[in-house]
Amino acid sequence: MIQLTDVSKVFRTRRGDVAALDGVTLHVGRGEFVVVRGPSGSGKTTLLLAIGGMLRPTRGLVVLDGRDIRALSEPERARWRADNIGFVFQMFHLIPYLTLLENVLLAAGGKDRRSEAEALVERFGLADRRHHKPAELSAGEKQRAAIARALLNGPKVILADEPTGNLDPQNAAGILECLAGFHEEGGTVILATHGEGADRHASRIVLLNRGRLEEAAGTERQNG
Amino acid sequence: MTTPGLILKEVLHRKLNFLLGLAGIVAATGLFVFLFTAGEASRLETTRLMQIMGLNLRVLPRGTDMDRFWAAGYSDETMPEEYVAKLASHAGLDYAHLLPTLKRRIEWRGTEIFLVGVAPEVSPVDRRQPSMSFAVEKGSIYAGHEIVRRSQLVQGSSVEVLGKTFTVARCLPESGTDQDITIFAQLRDAQALLGMEGKLNEIQALNCVCFDAKVDSLDMLREQLASVLPEAKVIQIRPVAQAREKQRQMVEDSLAVVAPFLLVVCAGWIGLLAMINVRERRTEIGVLRALGYGSGKIAALFLGKAVLGGILGALVGFGAGTAAALLCGPGVFKVTGSLMAPLYGLLGLSLVAAPVFAALCALIPAAIAATQDPAVTLREE
Repeated sequence: MIQLTDVSKVFRTRRGDVAALDGVTLHVGRGEFVVVRGPSGSGKTTLLLAIGGMLRPTRGLVVLDGRDIRALSEPERARWRADNIGFVFQMFHLIPYLTLLENVLLAAGGKDRRSEAEALVERFGLADRRHHKPAELSAGEKQRAAIARALLNGPKVILADEPTGNLDPQNAAGILECLAGFHEEGGTVILATHGEGADRHASRIVLLNRGRLEEAAGTERQNG
Repeated sequence: MTTPGLILKEVLHRKLNFLLGLAGIVAATGLFVFLFTAGEASRLETTRLMQIMGLNLRVLPRGTDMDRFWAAGYSDETMPEEYVAKLASHAGLDYAHLLPTLKRRIEWRGTEIFLVGVAPEVSPVDRRQPSMSFAVEKGSIYAGHEIVRRSQLVQGSSVEVLGKTFTVARCLPESGTDQDITIFAQLRDAQALLGMEGKLNEIQALNCVCFDAKVDSLDMLREQLASVLPEAKVIQIRPVAQAREKQRQMVEDSLAVVAPFLLVVCAGWIGLLAMINVRERRTEIGVLRALGYGSGKIAALFLGKAVLGGILGALVGFGAGTAAALLCGPGVFKVTGSLMAPLYGLLGLSLVAAPVFAALCALIPAAIAATQDPAVTLREE
């Protein structure tokens, strides 16, 4: 489903070039729950953005569902992303001037998905908070809203970047349960984290350090 | 969420940014509306001043000896009276008033004076305007100041002119011109006294042909009239035309200086605020991109906001500019200021121009937003 071959990404900064990804090769099959573990600055976010078609690698091949993302135009990638990928960020990134429900509906991009949004809000226990702005929500509620937003279009893949990084253990566990629920329903999850809390949900763990996948073999396990 | 819905919600959330941008559009629109509305009052004022200054076009018989004309103050030649009607109905001539006269030097009570026969003024049918001279009744005369002083004339008294008795209908005040030694009679009376029935020797006109340094409007006018009035020639009193042009030019020059300056300042201001808005919303743009929003939708968020500001700015700016012009106009243009009225055509123009202007100002920030690399923003987060 997702195939990265020798992918490198170099960012040009004032202090010189920074290689965020360095020759990464990774295959993620449909229905996998892959945990990408690594310290801060190891390239986890860049890896997720590359998988999500949000950046063009400096070198290498990113093939999503059999299509090379370099061959897709910007609108085609946007459409593909809207239909197939759900992003979850550490900082939640809810739009401050929209209510919780409107934030979820944002993913619909103008399509009428209100009933689906209401159902997701209900499912994540946020029904009584749906008309609240993000500033009025707790961190756990914000992240559950962000997951609801990511799930609205029925994506095949969830790319979660440190989704529990700003949460207390109880809320973090709740968020991981949500992602595990999506995985159990057949969805693919790629979760980047520097901690080990998500390991028990993972079907595979890969380690990323300084942009290189240091260890992929030997960590594969059967979920559950 | 639809794009207009997102724009409205963002506007309500970041009110200050929107209001500051709106202020720029209101200022630009308001000032333009003010200048145009005041410019219309200025045009009316020019017309009024022209009426005070006098006639600026003189139509004379073709055979007039100009040396004699300037020495004597009138033409020795005559032209048919029907030239007035021909001139009035000529489509190529835009005029405000036509004043047919017959002027001759006569001997009266042992001294030389002027006898001027004046016919009622002719104005375009669709533009009736207050008379800028006087209409003398049949059997009456208006006597110039020097004549009145020397002959001790009083209003209502009778006086004999070339063997016919007239009533002094008015004693004219001192003018400092040859009017002071002039007796004005009705054109028909003067023609009868001089034995020149149906004849004129001048048609004075307040014309609307603009004096333009680049195009000799007098030549153009002469060419036009030559076919209509073959027995006439036209001279223009240039200082008066120039004074009129100068005033008109002054207003246009002010606009030519103020308008570009204003446009640049307002464009810079609106563009700067749009740029600040883009910077403030970098993460939001990144998230929208992650949710599958394309460049077009992202740009539409910023351009749509600019257009919304343009529409509101046009409405408020038109109201503010018109109100300012109507309030200040009477103070500047003492007489014609009261004639000022809202120019509703400018509202339509503003509603088109201001949104387009605002969108153009926000074009670069919108393009930056649309092409912003979401990966950079989201990595920074």
